[in-house]
Amino acid sequence: MTTAFTLERLRGVGGATRRGTLRLPPTVVLSFLVVLTVVLWSLLPGLFTSHSPVTGETATKLAAPSPGHWFGTDYLGRDLYARVVFGTASSVTSALVAVLIGLVAGSAIGLASGFRGGWVDATLGRLVDVLLAVPGFLLAVVIVSSLGFQTINAAIATGVSAVAVFARLMRAEVLRIRGAVYVEASYLEGGSRLHVLLRHILPNAYRSVLVLAVLQFGTSILVIASLAFLGYGDPPPASDWGLLVASGKTYVTAPWLVYAPALVIVITVLSVNRISRWLRKAK
Amino acid sequence: MKPAYQRYALTRTAQAAVVVLLAYVLTFLVTSVLPGDAVTNALRDPQNGLSEQEIQRIVAFYGLDKPVLVQLGLSLGRFLTGELGFSLQSDLPVSRLIGDALPSTLTLAGSALVIAVVFAVAIAYGAHHLPGKWSGAVRSIPSFFLSVPNFVIGLVLIELFAFRLHSFTTTDPNSPAATLFAAVTLAIPVSAPLAEVLIAGLDHESRQDYAQVARSRGITEAGLFVKHLVKPSALPSVAMVALIVGELLGGSVITETIFGRDGIGTVVQKAVTGEDQPVLQAVVSLSAVVFVAVNLIADLVSPLVDPRVKLRETVDA
Amino acid sequence: MSSALWPRRAFLATVSAATASVLLTACGGATATGPSGDGTPVDGGNLTFLIQGYDTGWVSSKTSISSYEGNLWGQITDKLVYVDEKGKLSPWIAESWEELNGAKEFVLHLKKGVTFSDGSPLDAAAVVANLNAWAKGDPSRGVSKVGLFPSTNFLKAEAKDAGTVRVTFSSPALGFIATLGYHGCILLSPKTLALPVEQQADLKQEIGSGPFVVKSWKQGDSYVLEKRKDYNWGPAALGHTGPARLDTITYKVIKDTSVRTSTVASGQAEVAFNVEPQEIDSLKAQGFTVGTPRYLGFTDGFQVNTGTFPTNELSVRQAIQHGIDREEILKTVYTGDWTAATTFLQGNVPEAGDYSGLFKFDPEAAKKLLEDDGWKTGADGYRVKDGKTLELTLSPNPYVPSTKAEDELISQQLKNIGIKVNLKVVDVAGYAAVQASHPPLYQTSRSFVDVGTVAGVLTSQNNGEDWFRLGTSDKKLNELSTAVATASDRDTRKKVAGEIQQHVLEQGYFIPLNQLVQRLYLISPKVQGVQYNGLAYANFYTAWIAK
Repeated sequence: MTTAFTLERLRGVGGATRRGTLRLPPTVVLSFLVVLTVVLWSLLPGLFTSHSPVTGETATKLAAPSPGHWFGTDYLGRDLYARVVFGTASSVTSALVAVLIGLVAGSAIGLASGFRGGWVDATLGRLVDVLLAVPGFLLAVVIVSSLGFQTINAAIATGVSAVAVFARLMRAEVLRIRGAVYVEASYLEGGSRLHVLLRHILPNAYRSVLVLAVLQFGTSILVIASLAFLGYGDPPPASDWGLLVASGKTYVTAPWLVYAPALVIVITVLSVNRISRWLRKAK
Repeated sequence: MKPAYQRYALTRTAQAAVVVLLAYVLTFLVTSVLPGDAVTNALRDPQNGLSEQEIQRIVAFYGLDKPVLVQLGLSLGRFLTGELGFSLQSDLPVSRLIGDALPSTLTLAGSALVIAVVFAVAIAYGAHHLPGKWSGAVRSIPSFFLSVPNFVIGLVLIELFAFRLHSFTTTDPNSPAATLFAAVTLAIPVSAPLAEVLIAGLDHESRQDYAQVARSRGITEAGLFVKHLVKPSALPSVAMVALIVGELLGGSVITETIFGRDGIGTVVQKAVTGEDQPVLQAVVSLSAVVFVAVNLIADLVSPLVDPRVKLRETVDA
Repeated sequence: MSSALWPRRAFLATVSAATASVLLTACGGATATGPSGDGTPVDGGNLTFLIQGYDTGWVSSKTSISSYEGNLWGQITDKLVYVDEKGKLSPWIAESWEELNGAKEFVLHLKKGVTFSDGSPLDAAAVVANLNAWAKGDPSRGVSKVGLFPSTNFLKAEAKDAGTVRVTFSSPALGFIATLGYHGCILLSPKTLALPVEQQADLKQEIGSGPFVVKSWKQGDSYVLEKRKDYNWGPAALGHTGPARLDTITYKVIKDTSVRTSTVASGQAEVAFNVEPQEIDSLKAQGFTVGTPRYLGFTDGFQVNTGTFPTNELSVRQAIQHGIDREEILKTVYTGDWTAATTFLQGNVPEAGDYSGLFKFDPEAAKKLLEDDGWKTGADGYRVKDGKTLELTLSPNPYVPSTKAEDELISQQLKNIGIKVNLKVVDVAGYAAVQASHPPLYQTSRSFVDVGTVAGVLTSQNNGEDWFRLGTSDKKLNELSTAVATASDRDTRKKVAGEIQQHVLEQGYFIPLNQLVQRLYLISPKVQGVQYNGLAYANFYTAWIAK
């Protein structure tokens, strides 16, 4: 109950807190299916298409979508569906990397801040303020330009720009749970800080952090796609989703080169966001 | 209350100043670890057409032959006096590059902010006053808005409104019509969180007693919406304004690229490809200044507007 | 509450994309009516020309002029000689000329009454100032010479009277007259030439004598030219006298290729520079004119750096030559308007021979070359020698349309013979840095008017551009280059030019791809009378917009 309250405060939601149930609305089931597919695309792309993502039949370039080529073919006759599927690994995995960076670094900062208080909190608090003060996308652009134009660097940049949100949430969670009666009791019973951390804080905080992580996953997919769109990711023949849209838009007479990868991005992020919303409500 | 508020205001202001300085140092460190001797690369790039004297002057100006910490000191000292240095690509003062680009970006971001607020209020109103089924649909709009990449929105709008419907021309990206569509592109992702907060706020407020009382007095729903709900439920969003400013600045990179506008976003893009460190440094630190300033104002004003806001945030921040 | 939402949201997503794509396939043809008017030229009208960027500045004294700036220079300046699409020379500001003393001396007779746009006369003194600037530059002021000007044997230019200029060389300079029609040899007011380089960068200071003058501009955004009402000295070959027909030309920067294309396709502008070649056929079908003029010069291809890994090995250079399938490139990336290269010179250069046998597509031969040289295939399919992978990085030429797709395809083709090609995509500003870093393969696009001038770029002799990083180490190339530059008659020169082509290609110094169409013009059906010169620049002096 209390966790739900914090989360709603975090998201500014003041609506009725409902008792969590594990009822799965059909849209959530569908969203999970989409995410599962995307995950499988990134793990085992070869299972989903027999076409090569890097070499194509040049004679059938710029062919419209058809049963043979679901998303059509691109300017070198490559199967666009295969390019999207094989591009999933870097588009989606890098978003995961970004979330992990944000999650691990942010949680560590938040935990330290909330736990130690005092000067540690003050120092880390300023660091978080600084990260929040620079617009996330601008920060990511500057970091990736400094590290070099590669998808992995785009992921790192996106991760760093997400550290602050995680740190803020974790700190708030720690403070809230620390103040809870049962934790005070635990201290009184002589529990160590580590004990309190493992026994009370992490188990109580993980759900809200998870919800944020899922939400950030969707955001990161968008940020990384945007960086790739600007050409700050891996160069061709890589097929990051954002890069596919960018190179496809040159071909005005082949609109599928833009709309197919764009739709994949939208549907994926929509599903991830739906899951995040469900997780938030389910508690 | 009064001395407490003064202490609060003072602490917040000092904190804000520290954040700005740290942001400057952080960006400096990030951009200075550029692989290779990027600064000299940019200077020596024959395309930039800088003469040897100009190069020497720039090297001396930035202390490029000295250790990084010395460079940081030099640079930070200048920043504090409002001096932003010179672009490595064009040898123009950075303040001029930014000054030239700023009006266009401010127009874009300003229009986008207005549009985002209009969208958000419209969505919140719809979510509250449409019958159940429709309300549900409207409530899902923010989530959809959050799922579409900025560049896709831009491409679709240009295709539809410039090339099909001829509502604006791409050759004149600064015309009011073109600006409007660019602003919509920028506004859509920004309006989503704003709408969510408004909806949540309205949900909460409409269950409060005074709303019930007002209803019982026979005020129309729309009147109630305006008179009693918008103001209190907009309060949490004041804090969001700061966040939104950041979103607008970041989003302008993509939007300006797509619509071919010259602005801060374009300046950033050029600086990134040209490894123009002083320009990046200036844009990032200035956006931090804007963010911190807006945030500070929000923090200083909200306790005055709404006594329910506790000054406790001094310790909390 | 939320269970019913998914389908609707999905629907929204699909609808917005579908509407857009339906509209898109319904395509811009609606506004493109067929050629209107009865073909009689009309005066007046304003033309908007979309171009990807003006990033390299307006300093006129440069070794080479960018394809983008070149478009604007061509409208505001004149040249001494006009070169038509086939390379034929005809009078312009030089009304006639004499070649004397075994092509070691030239006399130019100038047209009378020509003035620069500031009113000063374009007379013999002005021409001498220009010739000196082209031949020598002014190193102390940072002004460089024109890269392809025959400056090694240039002695002096002198004004014999107000309308006659005498130019002398220390050895025969057969290419001199032709070079006067090169787009680097634009006539500027002596006042402009005397300015420090920084001030030359200011477009306002660039005073020419052309049919248009700069009216106003916003750097990096748009440039408005208006016609000079007193202009009356256009090249006779264009078949038009008096001032230009158009009132104004506006060069408008639009970076994005698709936006340039769609803007013209939807009738919002008249001309777009460098559209995507693969779109040409469908645009032509909609009634648009697409100009694909081919300039005199070098073909599309790679200058090879012989001083760096891995192209310091002859076997690797030759393997790359044989590993590239030019037919596939032409069919995939380009259209019927393109043709394969037969040497590293464009087919319309009279001295270009057919040496395609030296670099014909033969993957087996390529593999054998590498195999024999000790390059063994590694686990990932790429070849390895002494622990080093056969790998190089390539940047597509941002001045030429579609090179990104072309190089992506080349990367696939070379993968088949075990060479790993990484692509690094850069813009115009970044490409200068690429050139300065001397990569193994540098994709070149360079025009010239006369084959004699190529001697100035192949080696480092006489401050040459040293394309292959050989310095002066290849004695045979040095001798052949000098022989081409100083040949006294055209037959001898043609023979030597042939030997150079043979030698450069045998040594794998240059890897030709196809005949270059660097300047592509998408033109609205309303615009008529556009003519192209031998450097593939569109000339709008004769153009008009049909009512």
